[in-house]
Amino acid sequence: MMETIVQMRGVTKRIGTRTIIDNLTLDLPRGEVFGFLGPNGAGKTTTIRMMVGLMSLTSGEILIDGKSIEKEFEGAIKHVGAIVENPEMYKYLTGYQNLVHYARMMPGVTEHRVREVVALVGLEARIHDKVKTYSLGMRQRLGVAQAMLHRPKLLILDEPTNGLDPAGIRELRDYLRKLAKDEGIAVFVSSHLLSEMELMCDRVAIIQNGRLIDVRSLQDGEQALSARRVLFQVDRPAEAVQALQTAGQSAELAEKAQEADSGFVIIYGDRDGIATANAALVQAGIRVYGIREDVKSLEDQFLEVTGGEKIG
Amino acid sequence: MGDFGGLIRNENMKIYLRVRTYVMFGILIGLTIIISALWLAFGERSSTSMWEVAFMESSILFFLVTIFTVVVAAGAVAEEFTSGTIKLLLIRPWSRSKILLSKYIAVMLFAVTLAIVLFGSTLLVNWVMFGIGNDSANAGGGILPMGSDDSPFVYLLKYYGLTLITSIVTVTLSFMLSTIFRSSGLAIGMALFLLLVVNNFMQLLALLDYKWVDYILFIHLNLTQYLGDFSMREGMTLGFSLAVLAVYYIIFIALTWYVFNKRDVAA
Repeated sequence: MMETIVQMRGVTKRIGTRTIIDNLTLDLPRGEVFGFLGPNGAGKTTTIRMMVGLMSLTSGEILIDGKSIEKEFEGAIKHVGAIVENPEMYKYLTGYQNLVHYARMMPGVTEHRVREVVALVGLEARIHDKVKTYSLGMRQRLGVAQAMLHRPKLLILDEPTNGLDPAGIRELRDYLRKLAKDEGIAVFVSSHLLSEMELMCDRVAIIQNGRLIDVRSLQDGEQALSARRVLFQVDRPAEAVQALQTAGQSAELAEKAQEADSGFVIIYGDRDGIATANAALVQAGIRVYGIREDVKSLEDQFLEVTGGEKIG
Repeated sequence: MGDFGGLIRNENMKIYLRVRTYVMFGILIGLTIIISALWLAFGERSSTSMWEVAFMESSILFFLVTIFTVVVAAGAVAEEFTSGTIKLLLIRPWSRSKILLSKYIAVMLFAVTLAIVLFGSTLLVNWVMFGIGNDSANAGGGILPMGSDDSPFVYLLKYYGLTLITSIVTVTLSFMLSTIFRSSGLAIGMALFLLLVVNNFMQLLALLDYKWVDYILFIHLNLTQYLGDFSMREGMTLGFSLAVLAVYYIIFIALTWYVFNKRDVAA
């Protein structure tokens, strides 16, 4: 069983009469990239602020490495590296000076480590320029660098792919996965880019209106090879369904738009099932234009769970 | 855990790596030179003592020392909030109290540095322009109040010391406003308003014969009155003024730290 780095127990935040976070209970294990997903105003950033001690809890508690963030702040926070909202840096300082600034605040960060982190995020060429000349993507990299300086056990990144180009996103994604797997760091990522979360995270927690709605594993879905939902695009869908049923395979017409000269048929089956179905269709003289797996994207799942509800 | 000196070095870095800080030093030294040069051009060198000019310049320019420090103090906390950097600053293994203390110490060091620069530049510039030898023409350099047997140098030092004390109280007030309102503009504006407007208004209030007037902060923001025989109100002494200032100072500090520790950071 994997060790738990963060325990949130009945975390509640009330401001005035408004309940921002309502009784949130969540465990984050080491060695996983954990996604935190929710529509705007769901309370993602508030939760992160409470995790790093920027906000007080109305009730409940948050333990990081077994230490309460409220009662033993210094002991708890030293294991945490974070970006909260945007990576805001001192614009009148250079990137390097910014890193030195944070390095001085944490025990055991050497000059060598600072250079190492700079190389890690690929900022060597511009690190001695003033931050005000940086693009958003470069600031994001600098933000990741300052969060990594002291080799934290928990890395909290609020919208980390914001402003990164596709290459940068891919780099970050690979890097975070590597960190989690090789060094056993827990990475907690909030994002509104659902497709991004799908590629990056082992699990996602979905939160809405301050309440935890669901925690689901993303990698499980890939491993469940049996009974995949597969779409066949054929020229005569109705006949195709009949042909498949004759061949002993359950099939149905897809709900999605049936075009004049082609349509979709859905079957549920594993690899062999797909091959058998295809053979049956060809034998029946039906033209198959395409076969693809109908993976429900995180976006679909997300909208399904949250009901596509509006803010407030 | 960690080194508190590093925190102060950080705050110093954030003060001294900014262009505005050098503009402040430049203005201070530049004005000293300009005033002395004007005096030299329109006054008579032989009858002027360097102490006279140095004292006159100090009494005007110390006001700038206070204003500049108020600006830096007001920015110290408020700018971290407006730029959002406060979020990255407070998630380090340091208590909020210690982070605030490092900022306060850096601001105080800045005030002292500015005062030393002003002191040094007025003496140096006027020594070059008027010469130290002219003292003999005018015993006491023409700045000493009646009955004082200090040398001009010691008198000037005392003047700086007392002015620095009131300056620190004003700066602490601005530091508090900056922490409470998280807006440097508001903190600078209010501190300067109190300094300029209320201070002048107090000259009038000081004439009132009520006991409570003795306990108003602004009555005590001119300690140099005790260097001469004159005091703004009957029966007030330096010790009493210092005691009143100390009480206000403690209240300012307590409020600042309380608010900074307590408040949720939601920029």
